[in-house]
Amino acid sequence: MKYELVAGFETHVELQTNTKIFCSCTTKFGGDPNTHCCPVCIGLPGTLPKLNERVVEYAIMAGLATNCEIAEIAKMDRKNYCYPDLPKAYQISQYDKPLCEHGYIQLSNGRKIRILRIHIEEDAGKLIHNHGDTYVDYNRGGVPLIEIVTEPDFRSIDEAKEYVEKLQQTMRYIGISDCRMQEGSMRCDVNISVRPEGSEKLGTRTEIKNMNSITNIAKAMDYEYERQVDLIESGGEVVQETLRYDDATGTTSSMRSKEDAHDYRYFREPDLVTINVPRERVKEIQARLPELPEKKYARYTEEYGIPEKDAAQLTKYRSISEYFDKASEGLKSPKTASNFIIGQIFRRLETEADKEALDIKTSAEQLGELCKLLESGKLKNNLAKKALDQMLDSGKPVTEFVSESDMAGLDDATLTEYCNNAINAMKNAVEDYKSGKEKALMAVLGNVMKQSRGRADAPSVIKKLKELIG
Amino acid sequence: MITREDIENIALLSKLFVDEKDIDGLTEEMQKIVAFADTINSVEVKSGEFDNINNLQNAFRADEVKESLPVEEILKNAPEQAEDHFLVRKRA
Ligand SMILES: [Zn+2]
Repeated sequence: MKYELVAGFETHVELQTNTKIFCSCTTKFGGDPNTHCCPVCIGLPGTLPKLNERVVEYAIMAGLATNCEIAEIAKMDRKNYCYPDLPKAYQISQYDKPLCEHGYIQLSNGRKIRILRIHIEEDAGKLIHNHGDTYVDYNRGGVPLIEIVTEPDFRSIDEAKEYVEKLQQTMRYIGISDCRMQEGSMRCDVNISVRPEGSEKLGTRTEIKNMNSITNIAKAMDYEYERQVDLIESGGEVVQETLRYDDATGTTSSMRSKEDAHDYRYFREPDLVTINVPRERVKEIQARLPELPEKKYARYTEEYGIPEKDAAQLTKYRSISEYFDKASEGLKSPKTASNFIIGQIFRRLETEADKEALDIKTSAEQLGELCKLLESGKLKNNLAKKALDQMLDSGKPVTEFVSESDMAGLDDATLTEYCNNAINAMKNAVEDYKSGKEKALMAVLGNVMKQSRGRADAPSVIKKLKELIG
Repeated sequence: MITREDIENIALLSKLFVDEKDIDGLTEEMQKIVAFADTINSVEVKSGEFDNINNLQNAFRADEVKESLPVEEILKNAPEQAEDHFLVRKRA
């Protein structure tokens, strides 16, 4: 029998605010243990949480960027559980009135992954286990998170990978999180079940936690899918449980079964007042959102005629797409700028991090200037390439490297002179050409280019050579 | 109605050790507490479900960093500490 994978995602994203969600301590990553703490975030009795306005704003931005409806009225709730990473023995989260609901992210295969909700909550502290003892650092406690919950809409691992990449890209574009999975600023839990192909009924699901990369998510899902199918095929039954993925062995193991599932006893957080989001506020935030990668991609491919593969590279990071947008302003063909970025500029940016940082000496305006000279025909392609390398090395504008005479091109008399020189110098090649070897002319062309130090325009040279050779 | 089993379960969830001989007394106490909550619940209220007593909304704080406390202050009330961390011992 063939089985279909059914999966849903719960993703925690750490927000890049300056301060924690309920107190004014810094959210900086790391720091000496327990130095980013105050009575509020270590849960001392008698303290009062006060909600960081930017957390609400960032969550609304996340909601708008994922096509969610923004709640007019929302509230905070207490989620009770006892574990040393939560000093209050409860986490302040949102239960039945989250800030955002009913959104979606569209995948390249056209399917929409529905987003059930996005809510805000506080992160827990960090636990270091050592011979059974636990060391607790509350620096991360109270750092703002959004949790993005999807419907069980995934049908393949590829869809899951694309979703995580898209989510990451979108959150980075709108500037609310760096979404670094390795550092824990983006964390995914996946629930998985299988069912016979064609069946509508959902199978019993398991939840996998503790995956810190897209590669591991894919591996864990693959392992868990196979495990469940094998279990069913051999007459067994999937047990609802929470699993931990072990990177070293590539397997999942049980953390807890349904029987020990927490009873969180949610209730309204009495220390925090209702959140009211006026519709004008939503409009104002919407207006400030940058153009999202999907829109940019559509604009580049459809309006500019940039190949899909190139458009994907240009839109991967906001920094690159904005550089491209600025450089291509006023160009007849923005593709000129795109080719320089993906070719010569990317060659200097080895890693993905380098590309995102886009730390280069040439400004977008300077690249635009170069492209305009090329488009106007004042500068030939080979000279432009040479100039760009010099620009990237020095940070100086194109005019530093290209002289008036370079831009003027060659007058007809000089061109004729160079061509005659070449014909005389390369008699064999000329003979070969005359006897029908079209390619032999390229050697003669090369000679002319050399004489002109790249200023000659190849098509005009060929035309002239053909005239002279007859 | 709160039962012995509820008390045992709540104790388990809150990681509290409750002596066998105290369970009956606690059950009775908890029944009274819940009965009091039921009295509050039975009061007719007309206001909307999100209203606070004082109708406050949107009490926000600006996202401006203030100094945190020194680690010694933070750990002052910790039952146990080690290497600038709160220390939770393995349960025997
Ligand atoms: Zn604090």
